[in-house]
Amino acid sequence: MEILLIGVLLLSGLAFGALGSHLFGVPRVVGYILVGMLFAPNLLGGQLGMHDTQWTQPLVSVALGVIAYVIGGAISPSQLRRLGWSIVGATLGEVSGAFLMVAGAVLLLGMTVADLPLWSFALVLGALAPATAPAAIVAVVHQYQARGPVTTTLLGMVAIDDALGILIFALVMAIVGSGSLGGALGTAFWEIGAALLVGGVGGFLIERLSRRFHEQSMLLPLLLGGILLTVGLAAWAEFSALLASMVLGFSVRWFGSSYAERLFKPIEDLEETVFVLFFTFAGLHFAPSAVIDYWPLMLTYFIARALGLFVGGAGGARLAGAPRAVWSNIGFGLFPQGGVAIGLALLLLNYPMFSQAGEVIVNLIATTTLLTESVGAISVRYGLRRAGELCQNTPKGKTAR
Amino acid sequence: MKIVDWLEGHAVTGVTVERDASLEEAARALLGEPECRDIYVIDAEGRVVGHLGFRRLADILLHRSTHSRRQLLEQVARGPVREFMNQRFISARLDEHVHDVLHKNMERWVEDIPVLDGDSRLAGIIRLVDLVRAAIEPSDQSFD
Repeated sequence: MEILLIGVLLLSGLAFGALGSHLFGVPRVVGYILVGMLFAPNLLGGQLGMHDTQWTQPLVSVALGVIAYVIGGAISPSQLRRLGWSIVGATLGEVSGAFLMVAGAVLLLGMTVADLPLWSFALVLGALAPATAPAAIVAVVHQYQARGPVTTTLLGMVAIDDALGILIFALVMAIVGSGSLGGALGTAFWEIGAALLVGGVGGFLIERLSRRFHEQSMLLPLLLGGILLTVGLAAWAEFSALLASMVLGFSVRWFGSSYAERLFKPIEDLEETVFVLFFTFAGLHFAPSAVIDYWPLMLTYFIARALGLFVGGAGGARLAGAPRAVWSNIGFGLFPQGGVAIGLALLLLNYPMFSQAGEVIVNLIATTTLLTESVGAISVRYGLRRAGELCQNTPKGKTAR
Repeated sequence: MKIVDWLEGHAVTGVTVERDASLEEAARALLGEPECRDIYVIDAEGRVVGHLGFRRLADILLHRSTHSRRQLLEQVARGPVREFMNQRFISARLDEHVHDVLHKNMERWVEDIPVLDGDSRLAGIIRLVDLVRAAIEPSDQSFD
């Protein structure tokens, strides 16, 4: 029955998402989440024999492994050197700003779920905040043929900030899982060390094996097998599957040197499928009571994240010596939140201590994603127009998401 | 027929650029030879060390709209040709048979195959279109 529901979720999610985008101009994620809500266990899912959502967890782990591999392989060391300090500085500022602002705001609000310690809850929400969604930003840049330093900085930032976000999330989960900062040192050492070792060695082996396969069709099973093996090993030996998959991607890219296309394109093509699954799964967990009971928390998260991204991004860019046009406008382009954040939130449901808080967090991220996807494109457009980088005032077509 | 003999009757010029050339320089070199769709990247000694196809070059230069972080970074932090070339391209040697090349063409879905001499320098190009023309021409003895 699970296979039946996955098929139904994928096809109806795609249909609703595309129809909503085409007919009403709403982001596709709205359709994805609505379909998930429709097939929740207490609605149509129950009719199909689905009485809980536990079956989604292994799929979420593997799907996040796929996303982490793609994110890890996005940048090569030489590209990182060439990016320039203004992009790296702005990204570091944006990521740390969002993390600190959200964690601090949640601590000040003093609102937590069940018996989860407030500091754990605040840290986890802070760790989810830096992830951005390139899709909404790219759509605006493409639609208005934007060109210039702000556009370049923005595209560079959204391409690398998810990697830092995943790193922070993995570290926070090590700390939260240990229960104290002292106990976290040993756990973090194992989680990071083992992930580096397994991901690094795995990447080297995959890249070397790939040289034996000349046909592109042979590479997908090799890459998927490598990611599955890494995620499985991480679950078995209790180290971070997210970090290991990200290091795997980085390592494949490193050892593959110049020609990354063949080792990433097949997996990148799965990204939209993964995001459809993430958002429909988030819909399965939708609970109106969570949104109603925790609206102050959701509002706090939304405002604190926006402020953190804006102030952190601007501050980091300014400290790194970026021109005024860049640091005063870059913050407007960072609000969209998407698949990575929702995937990380779903992953929390794997942890027993987050059995209740995880449900609230999934609802929080789904709700704020809808908000950021709706206002994010307007904000990106405003920032780029303010910087004078929109080449035309009439869009070429409808925004895709 | 040996490839060295084939090239005498089917001379095709290949486009080469150095490893550190920019993508724009590579594009100019390619546009100078309208019939060519492939660039062969050479090192300082003139040895062929990589291949870059026209389609890939166009993708990067024309700022295709993409959601892939990797491709975004290729646009934002663009490097020289060596960072985009395929180092594991297929090639043929002068002393091989034309038949072997035809097999490589079909197996790897490529249309043109570079022919390298003993020092890995570009000696010529074997084009699939010429192979097909020879195959359907009754008087042609190329495959004997």
